[in-house]
Amino acid sequence: MLYKTNAKSLLAISALISWLLLLVYVLLTAESTLAGTDAPRFALPFFRNLLIVIFIVSVFLFQRLQTETLKGMDFIGYLWNLFSKAGVTAYLSVALYLVYRVYNNYADVKSSLLLHLVYQVNFALLVLFLAKAFYIWRQLLLYHKNKFLQIAWDWFELLLAATLLLTLFNFDYTNYVFLPLLALMGFYILFLCTNMKWVAYLTFNNKSRSLVLLGAVLLSCYIFVRFFLNTSERTDLVIDYSGVGFLLLAMMFVTMYTLAAFLVSLFSLPTSSVFEQKSEDLLNFQRLSLSIQQGQSEAQVYDMLFESTIKASDANAAWFEVIRNSEPQTTHLLNIQEPQINSIRHLLKAYNINNLDYINNNLGRNPGFRGLALPWKSVAILPLKTAKHLSGVLYLLKDVEGGFDQETVNVLRTFTSQTTLTIENLRLVNESLQNERYKEELKIATQVQESLIPKTFPTDSWFEISTHSVAAKEVGGDFYDFLQLSESRIAIIIGDVSGKGISAAFHMAQMKGIFHGLMQQDMAPSEFMKQANSALSRCLERTSFITSSLYIIDYRMKGFMFARAGHCHTLYYNSMMDDVFYFSTEGLGLGIIRDNRNYAGHIREMYYDYNPGDVMVIYTDGIIEARNAQNDEYGEERLQHMLKETYHLEAEDIKYAIINDLNDFTGPGNIYDDQTLLVIKFKPTQPNT
Amino acid sequence: MKITQEIKDNTVIMTLNGELDASSSVLLDEELSDPEIMKYSKVLVNCQDLNYISSAGLGVFISHLQRFEDAQIKLIFFNMQDKVRNVFEILGLDLLMTIVSDYEEARTIANE
Repeated sequence: MLYKTNAKSLLAISALISWLLLLVYVLLTAESTLAGTDAPRFALPFFRNLLIVIFIVSVFLFQRLQTETLKGMDFIGYLWNLFSKAGVTAYLSVALYLVYRVYNNYADVKSSLLLHLVYQVNFALLVLFLAKAFYIWRQLLLYHKNKFLQIAWDWFELLLAATLLLTLFNFDYTNYVFLPLLALMGFYILFLCTNMKWVAYLTFNNKSRSLVLLGAVLLSCYIFVRFFLNTSERTDLVIDYSGVGFLLLAMMFVTMYTLAAFLVSLFSLPTSSVFEQKSEDLLNFQRLSLSIQQGQSEAQVYDMLFESTIKASDANAAWFEVIRNSEPQTTHLLNIQEPQINSIRHLLKAYNINNLDYINNNLGRNPGFRGLALPWKSVAILPLKTAKHLSGVLYLLKDVEGGFDQETVNVLRTFTSQTTLTIENLRLVNESLQNERYKEELKIATQVQESLIPKTFPTDSWFEISTHSVAAKEVGGDFYDFLQLSESRIAIIIGDVSGKGISAAFHMAQMKGIFHGLMQQDMAPSEFMKQANSALSRCLERTSFITSSLYIIDYRMKGFMFARAGHCHTLYYNSMMDDVFYFSTEGLGLGIIRDNRNYAGHIREMYYDYNPGDVMVIYTDGIIEARNAQNDEYGEERLQHMLKETYHLEAEDIKYAIINDLNDFTGPGNIYDDQTLLVIKFKPTQPNT
Repeated sequence: MKITQEIKDNTVIMTLNGELDASSSVLLDEELSDPEIMKYSKVLVNCQDLNYISSAGLGVFISHLQRFEDAQIKLIFFNMQDKVRNVFEILGLDLLMTIVSDYEEARTIANE
């Protein structure tokens, strides 16, 4: 940036100095000619040419840096720059020349010096004009460039710069050798003039404005050409810039490109509205598809559809109805009354074509529509429809016959299908948000349920206990809990609610409440089951039931009492007999018989004395009914076998051994039912007594 | 899960084929809720090809048990596989429901 500013000021200074030196040179030469000496005192053509070249190069390079700041797609901005900064110089030069003429006439003195001054100033203006115009056209010409065009332009600039050498060495460009070369350059310029992609991006209004600006610039070109060709014929001038080939070529390029731009703009003027419509359609498509990211509502999407389709089809009247609960509801209206809508709807219903894709380009020929005496002659009906869902219907009306040609209808259909897609996506987004919320709630439920299951049992020297519990879904129907009844007695319960998920989780929480409520009164397991059955009969739905086992362990008596209500059999290792077996007691699940007098006969209670080293394994059916890929169940036998292998371990290790074996059996991530496992090992020693 | 019904001598013979899990128990519930069934006094359930029964499936039978009893309709299961029978037994349903080994026995009990 600093380099650029420095370079620019350096170039400006060198341009100014070279121009001033040139002016001094010209004036001195002119004076010496005026003095009548045959041999001018100053005849240094090489020095003069060098100054001209320095001036031209400085100004061009300066403008080259200057115009690089112009960027973007504001083409009218470019053209305005072209006119206000370049074109105006021509009018300045005309004004200057006129002032000179008027002064000449008025003063009636032929001042050769003044003429030279004016001529010199005009030369500076011309170079400024050419440099500015040249580089603004360069920016536009290279719009949407490809590599080939860039190379072509670079060569053009180089060749043009090379022509300055002709001036420097004072070659006459009208020489027969150089003339064909110059002609070739002319063709090169013609080729460059075909690159006008930017014109296509001008809207109708912009094109009209650009025509005015381009016209003004063309006039500037004409003024300069005329001035310099005219003055070159004057013999009293000591210098003639029309002989500088570079300026001629630059002028040729600027004029031709301006003319080409003018003509292209002029002739593309009638078609520009079509392109405008197309690009607007494209923009609207984009807006529709972006509307989800921008968080727009369904209503806003319909607004967009309504506006865009009316513009795209140039419809005179239109309405849009949203289908809510299979009832149409008019949400958008344009130039049409409710009664007219109703009459059209009735007619369509009578023809059985309501809510169907339907185009009629000659309503007058249809007796039904003729009968309605509507002011429109074409209608397009476009339903917004997915495979199973109709979300809305768009009606467009035009007052000419054949108003909806195939091309228009294609565009309209694209709009409606894009809208359908957007609406569908909006719904999906909303649904997924809703799901996200449900997931959050479930997460809370999971946490609540986890807090219902005790993580730690009272650490006691009488026995050790290890627990394992996983739910197949976010929440489950398995549960276990304990309650210290007295110093030496603890009640442990395990249960399984039929079914899975939320409803099971609710019943599980209920069961926990019943356990804590009833066991406060310290009752026998069978009595607990009876009362629990009675309580649950009143609140479980008919297809639900709960299986449960309750154990009351008495350390002092070294025994436990238990009752099984339809729950899995308890697995037991007796260290005295060195035997692993299941307790096979009878017992009906809770909530199956809702008549409690009947239930009492279906529950058995059992008392068992334990020995130190005995192991009790309590579990839910999720363990023994777990399946492997071959659909085999884990089964009671395998569980029994596992305990046989591991009874000598600590409770924690027995649990891990069983769970690992179970996971080996089912394979990873293969849980279809809630699994709960409790391992209780009675300890041999009794410290602290 | 496939459920088929056959009516023979004032008896509904229902054959269960496959796995009775949470989703298929809805089907079973529809079949058992059918008021047509109440016209017959005996419902025999052939469990020969019933490979698995979930708690939801058991729940369906349990929920209809009382209704059948009140209407004095006999509900008899026969040809039950051991592992399915085990599930019934663990829950204590073998004491509430009539589960017999084969069709002949089922007919005999039904006609008592």
